[in-house]
Amino acid sequence: MIRPPVITIDGVETTFTPGETVLEVTKRLGVAEVPHLCWDERLDPAGSCRLCIVEVEGRRTPGASCTLRAEDGMVIRTASDKLRRMQGHLVQMVLSENPAEVSPRNADVGPTELQQLATDFGVSRDRFLGRESNRSKDDGNPLLLRDYDHCISCYRCVRICDEVEADHAITMTGRGFAKEIATPFDRGLLDSTCTLCGQCVYTCPTGALADKKMVGAAERGAPAAEQKVTRSICPYCGTGCSIDLHSKVDADGTETVIGVTPALDGPVNEGALCIKGQFGFDFVNSGDRLRKPMIRKDGELTEVEWDEALDYTAQRLRSIRDDHGPKAFYSIASGRAPGEGGYMLQKFQRAVMGSNFIDNCSRA
Amino acid sequence: MPLTDLQDERTAAIIDRLEGEHAPFLSILHEIQDHYGYLPEPALHEVSRRLAIPLADLYGTVTFYHYFRLEDPGPVPDIWMCESSACCLRGIDSLERELASSRQGRPHSGRVVRIPCPGRCDIAVPIFIGEEVFATAEPGAAGDLPVATSALPIETGHEECAFSDIRKEIASLEGYRAVGGYSTLTRAASDPDSAIGELKASGLTGRGGAGFPTGIKWEAVRNESSDLKYIVCNADEGEPGCFKDRCLMDHAPHQMIEGMALAGLVTGAEIGIVYLRYEYPETLRSLQAAIDEAVAAGVIGDDCMGTGRAFHLVIRRGAGAYICGEETSLLNSLEGLHPFPRDKPPFPTTHGLFGRPTVINNVETFATAAVIVRRGGEWFSRLGVGENQGTRIFSVSGDISRPGNYELPIGTPLSTLLNDLAGGAPGGRSIQGVTMAGISGGFVGAEDLDVPLDSGSLAALGGMLGAGGIIVHDDSRCMVSAARASMNFLAHESCGKCFPCRIGTTRATEILDEMRSHAGGGPCPSRDSIGELADLDEVMGEASACGLGLAAPFVTRTLMKYWPDQVRAHLDGTCPKGTCKEART
Repeated sequence: MIRPPVITIDGVETTFTPGETVLEVTKRLGVAEVPHLCWDERLDPAGSCRLCIVEVEGRRTPGASCTLRAEDGMVIRTASDKLRRMQGHLVQMVLSENPAEVSPRNADVGPTELQQLATDFGVSRDRFLGRESNRSKDDGNPLLLRDYDHCISCYRCVRICDEVEADHAITMTGRGFAKEIATPFDRGLLDSTCTLCGQCVYTCPTGALADKKMVGAAERGAPAAEQKVTRSICPYCGTGCSIDLHSKVDADGTETVIGVTPALDGPVNEGALCIKGQFGFDFVNSGDRLRKPMIRKDGELTEVEWDEALDYTAQRLRSIRDDHGPKAFYSIASGRAPGEGGYMLQKFQRAVMGSNFIDNCSRA
Repeated sequence: MPLTDLQDERTAAIIDRLEGEHAPFLSILHEIQDHYGYLPEPALHEVSRRLAIPLADLYGTVTFYHYFRLEDPGPVPDIWMCESSACCLRGIDSLERELASSRQGRPHSGRVVRIPCPGRCDIAVPIFIGEEVFATAEPGAAGDLPVATSALPIETGHEECAFSDIRKEIASLEGYRAVGGYSTLTRAASDPDSAIGELKASGLTGRGGAGFPTGIKWEAVRNESSDLKYIVCNADEGEPGCFKDRCLMDHAPHQMIEGMALAGLVTGAEIGIVYLRYEYPETLRSLQAAIDEAVAAGVIGDDCMGTGRAFHLVIRRGAGAYICGEETSLLNSLEGLHPFPRDKPPFPTTHGLFGRPTVINNVETFATAAVIVRRGGEWFSRLGVGENQGTRIFSVSGDISRPGNYELPIGTPLSTLLNDLAGGAPGGRSIQGVTMAGISGGFVGAEDLDVPLDSGSLAALGGMLGAGGIIVHDDSRCMVSAARASMNFLAHESCGKCFPCRIGTTRATEILDEMRSHAGGGPCPSRDSIGELADLDEVMGEASACGLGLAAPFVTRTLMKYWPDQVRAHLDGTCPKGTCKEART
C-alpha cells in the first residue's frame, strides 16, 4: 500500500489530499489560527494580503499558506514570534491606508475582519501613516454603498463578481498604491453588467462596501431598543437560500425588518443571494401586505378566515370542473414553489381536476 | 448604451488580421492605438467581444500600462523626460522648464511628462517626442538635442562572450554568418543533448537577475511532453540603470535570434516570442528587420537551415510596466490577462505561456547561450575569475567618465570596472557609492568598492547583483535622495497585488520624502522614521509575493548601512550635501 502524504503543522503530523493548500490543511486540522484578509473559501486563493504567511522548513522566506500547496514531508510553523511581529506590522500598514473613522457598516454588522485582526494583534492605526488609498465612488445606485475610502485592495469583490457570480462588472484599475476598483470606464454600477446581487458587500473585509438600505436603518424612525438576527429561508424562489433577517425592536415592542444578510453556512447558497433575496425585503414591512385570505363579496375584497377561503375555493374548483369539463382548468406553478410544491400541483391537476394542463412560470 | 456592445469596424479589421497570430493581444491594442492615437471605447467593446475578455477585465488591464491611452491625446505629442535614478542626477527640474519652451525641431504640445527609466542611462537625459528619441538633454542645452544613437559596448581588454563579435558589424545576417553565426542550429537539431551539455558545463545562469541555471531550464522544457511549447525572450529591460539588452538587440540581433532558435530546436518549441519593452521603438524596427532577414534566408521559419524543423519568431511590444519584466507577469501580459505575477510553483518550465511548457530567458542569456554552444561550455566556464564561471555584462551610468556597457569576467572587482575601465567619477570627484542590479539591489558604498562582481559577494554585502546595472554617485550626491529615487521608482511600478509591496514601497518613499523635506526646512518628522523603515523592510523583504517587493528593502537597508550619518543629519534638519534645499513640500 502506498503511504499517504504527510505534512507537519506546528508539530502536529497529518495526512492531506494532494492539491490541498497549507491553509486548508491548517483550518481542517484546527491546530492554529492563521490570519488572512484576502482569503474567502468561496474564491480561488490570491496570495495578496500575505497575512497568512507561514514558515516552511528549508525555505529562506515564508510562504503565503493560502497559495502554498501541501507537499509530502513539509514542516510548517505558523506562529513564530517573527511571523506574529510581521503580521502585526502588516495589519498596521493596512490600517494606515484607510481613514481613521470607522466605516458606516460597522453599526450594522459589527466589527469588520480588518478591525477584528487589529484587535487580535493589539495594534491600531498609529504607525506607517501617509497618503490614504482609493476614494469613495458613490454612484447613485440605490443599493450598494461604494465607500472605497475603506478599500484595502484585496480584490475579493472583483473576484467574487468574476469567479462566483460571473458578472464581471468590476475590475481593478491602475497599479500599486493607485489601484482602484472600477466598472468599465469608471461609470456607475447601473451602467455596468452588475446585477446588484450584493455578493461584493458580504465578502468585503473592511466595510468599503455596504448595503445602503441597511446603513443607518436601525436609527431611522423609532430608535431601536434592541436588534435581532433571525435565521430564515428566502421566500422568493424554490432554491431555499438561507438568510439572516436583521430586525430592530423599538421601545413599544414593534419589530421591523431592516436588512438581510446571506448565511455563509447556508447549505444551499453558501453565502450567495440574488438582488431580490438580498434587498427585496420591503414587502415584509409594507402596509399593503396581505395578512389574511380575501374573497370578493358584492364587488368588495373582504378579509375572511382560512376555513371559509378554502371551502369557497374547493367549491368553485368543483363547479368549474363539473360545469365546463377538466380541460377548462389550467395550472401554473409558481417559480417560488419548491419541487415538492410543483409535484403536488401537477398531482392535483391530473388526479383531481383530470387534465394534463400543468405548467410552471419559470421562464427566466 | 453601455450594456449594448458598441461596434468598431476598424478594430474588427485589425482583429481579423491578427487573431490567428501567437499571443496577439498586445499587438491588437497597439494597432488600434496607432490608428486612433488612443483606445476608443467602441474599439474596446469590439476587442472584448471578439477575444472573449469581459469588458471590465479588459478595461482594468489596459489601465495597468503607462502607454495605453483611453483619451485622445491630440495631434501633437507631449515631451517625455526620464526622471529615474541616473537622470535625476542631471537637474531635471530646471530641464523640465526649459524643455517646455524649447523647439527641438519637432512639433510638440509643450507639456513635459516625466516617465520612468526608458533604458538610456548612458545618454542621460533622454527625451522622447513621439517615437523619436533625443539624447543627453541637460539644463542649458535643451533646444538642439542630437537624435539618440545606440552605442557599442566599451572594450575591456578581457575576453568576451556575448560581445565577442559585436564590433564586427554583425547586425546584418551576412555579417553575422561571417563570424560563424547560426552554425549551432543544425547541430542542435541533430544533437540537442550536446547543446544542453555545453550550457550546463558553461555554468551559464539567467542574466535577468534570478540566476537559474540555463541548461537545466532548457532541459526541463525539453523533457516535458507537450505538442505545444514556447520560447519567450524577456526584452522588457525596465530596471533603471540597465541598457545592455538594448545594446545586444541593436548591434547583435541575430545572436539573440540564434539563441532563441537554438532553445526552440533543443526543446521542441516551434514558436518564439520576443517581449520587447515599449520604450525601445528603434529597436522594434531594427529587430523586426533582422527577423525578416533571417526568415527570408531560411535560417528560421518553416524550415530552419534545412533541418526540417520549424521555428517562428514574433515580437510583442510591451506597453510600459516594469513588473512585466517579472517572468510570470510577462506571460500574463502576453495572454491579455491582468499583469500580476503568478504564484510559483508551478514554474513556466511546466506551466508557462497559455499553460504550456515555456523557456523564458532574457536577451543577454539567449545571446550568450548562442556563443557558448558555438564555442563550448568549458571555454565560457573558464572565463570567470577564480571559482566563478563565465562573464556577464554590466551597464554603468551616473557620475562616471565612460558610461556604457562592459562585459567582464564574473568576479572582477567593482573598483576595476569603475576606476580602471570606466574612468572613475568625472571632474576630479570621488565615488561615494553605486546602485546595484540597476536600482533594486540597493547600494554599495565607497568602502566596499573592491567587492568582486559575483552574486555571492554582493549578497554577502546585503545587496544583489541582479541584472547588472550600476549607477554611480559621486561625493556630491545626497544618498537619501538617491534612495528616494530608487524607492519612488519601485512604488510607482509596484503592481498592487500584494500588500507588503503595494503599501511598503509607498510608505518607505514617503518617509524618505519627509527626511528630505525636513532637511530642506520642512517640519520634523513626528514618527520614528528609522524604526518604521526597519519594520517595513522586514515585512517587504520576507512577505512580498514577487522579486520587486522582496528586493525593495535592499535600497533602504544599504542606505542605513553605508550612510547612517546622512540619514541622521536629515532627521536633524540638515542635508550634508546641501541638495535637499528645494525638497521642502
